Amino acid sequence: MNPSSLVREFMEKGRSESCRVIDMHGHLGPYQGIYFPNPSPEDMIRTMDRCGVRMIVSSSHAALIDTRENFKMADVVKRHPDRFRAYWVINPNYPLRIEEEIAQFPKIDGFIGFKFLSDYHRYPITGPRYEPALKYAEGHGLPILMHTWGHSPYDSPALVDELAKRYPRVVFLMGHSGYGEWERSIQVARDHPNVYLELTAAYAINGVIEKMVLGAGSRKILFGTDLPWFDPHYGIGCVLFSRITDDDRHNILHRNAESILKPFMSHG
Amino acid sequence: MKFFDCNASFGTPMVPPIRYADTAKELLKEMDHYGIAEALVYHVRQCDDSPVVGNSILFDEIEGIDRLHGTLAILPTQTGELGTIESIIDLMREKNIRALRAFPAEHKYSMSRTALGDLYDLMTERKIPLIINIGESSGVSGWHLVERMLSDVPDLTLIVTEQGCWGQDRLFRPLIERHANLYLDISRYELDGGISDFVGKYGADRLLFGTAFPEWNPGGPVLMLTHAEIANREREMIASGNLEGILGRVRL
Repeated sequence: MNPSSLVREFMEKGRSESCRVIDMHGHLGPYQGIYFPNPSPEDMIRTMDRCGVRMIVSSSHAALIDTRENFKMADVVKRHPDRFRAYWVINPNYPLRIEEEIAQFPKIDGFIGFKFLSDYHRYPITGPRYEPALKYAEGHGLPILMHTWGHSPYDSPALVDELAKRYPRVVFLMGHSGYGEWERSIQVARDHPNVYLELTAAYAINGVIEKMVLGAGSRKILFGTDLPWFDPHYGIGCVLFSRITDDDRHNILHRNAESILKPFMSHG
Repeated sequence: MKFFDCNASFGTPMVPPIRYADTAKELLKEMDHYGIAEALVYHVRQCDDSPVVGNSILFDEIEGIDRLHGTLAILPTQTGELGTIESIIDLMREKNIRALRAFPAEHKYSMSRTALGDLYDLMTERKIPLIINIGESSGVSGWHLVERMLSDVPDLTLIVTEQGCWGQDRLFRPLIERHANLYLDISRYELDGGISDFVGKYGADRLLFGTAFPEWNPGGPVLMLTHAEIANREREMIASGNLEGILGRVRL
C-alpha cells in the first residue's frame, strides 16, 4: 500500500485537516447532456464537506449558454462566502455584450476572473472578440480559466502559448490541461510563469500527474473537478496515489490555488 | 475492505499508455500500491493480437498466481480458430476460466445471436459472464449494442466496463431496470453522488469495482468507493462480493 501519510489520512477519514482542498474548476446547476444528483450550491457544499474541499471557484452552467446568467453566481458567493468564488463567463458569440459586461465586472463582488469555453462556443481564444476581456485581465492581473483540449482549433496548448506571450500578467489556467496533448501542455506551463495546468478529467489518465510534476513542476498544477460533474474523491484519489511526494500533493491540492486566490479572499 | 478488480489488463500494448504493467508480476506490484487484493484480468495481446495467440499468453503468465483470474477472449466458432464449444469448455475447466471477454471491434465480428448463438447458449446454460467495454462496436455501438445483446439473449450475465465519465445514466438506467443480469463497473462512474444515488434506487448488487488499469488511474475508484455514501455492507458488495458471487455461480 502507498506509504504516504496523506493517502492514509484520506483513506481513513475521507478528508485531511492539513490538506484542505481547493477546487479551481467548478460549475453549478443542471446541464444539457448529463444527470446530476447534486447540482445546487447546498448539494455541492455537502459534497465538499464530505471530501474535505474548502472552496470552489465556479461558473454556472446557465452562464455558459447565456452570459446574463453570470449575475446569479454573485448571489451564490454572497450566500456562501467561505465556500464559493466565481468566474465570469465570456461568450464571444455576443461581442456587443462583452464591453458592457467588463464595465460591470469590478462592481460585482465574488468574481475572481473570466471563464472561456472556446471549444463549445466555437471561437478561438486568440480571436479579437476575447481581447477586451484579455486586456482587462492583463491590466488587473486576473486569472482566466480556459477550457483547453489537445489539437483543438479553438483552445489547443499552442494557442495558449500565443496568449501567454501576449498577456504576461494574466494568470492562465489550462482547464483539462489541454487534454490529450500532454507534452505540449506541459511545455507551455513550464515555459510561462503565468500558465497553470488544471487537472479536471485529466487526472484520470494513469501516469499523467507524474508526467506533469516531472515536466512542469508541482507548483504549476491546480486541482479541479467540474463539480457537480465529478466526485472530488475520484480526482483526489488520482492525485494521492500518483508517485509524487506529499509536498507535491499539497501544492496541487491547495497551496497553488491559495496563492492565486489570495487577492480575492477579502471579497464577499 | 477487500478490493477485487473486475477490469484490469497487463502486457506490452501496441500503442502504450503512459504507465502500464508489462508482466503479471508487475501488475501485482501495481495492485499492491492501491491495496487491491485480486483482479479479473486479460492480457493486451488478447485484444491487440489474435485471441488464439493472446489467450495462450495469458494462461502462461498467470499460471500459479492465485490473485489473478483469467478471462478468455472469444471469437465466433464458425471459423474454428478457438476450436469447438466442447474444446472451449474443456479449456476453461483446465485453466479455471470463469469469464469471457469480447473485443468485436478489434476482432471484426458481430455480437448477434447469428454469429455467437452457440457461445451465448454456453454462457447462459453455465452462467458464465461476458465482459465488454462500452467503447466496443460491431456495427451497433455503445449502449445500443448492449440493448441489442440483452434483447437477443435476456439471460446473459453481462458486465459492461468503462462507461465513461460524461454522464451516461440516462442511457444505462433504462437497461438496468429491464435486465437483471446487467452489471456495470465503476472505473469511470465519476458522477458526484452517482454511486449512492444508483444504489439507493437499484441496490448495491449491480455495480462492480473496476479500475480499467492501465489506461486509467486506479486511485480514483479506490478513494471514491471507500467514501461513497452507502452502507458498509453495500460497499463491500461492490468492492468484491458481487464479483465473487458472479464467478461463484459459474458451472464449468
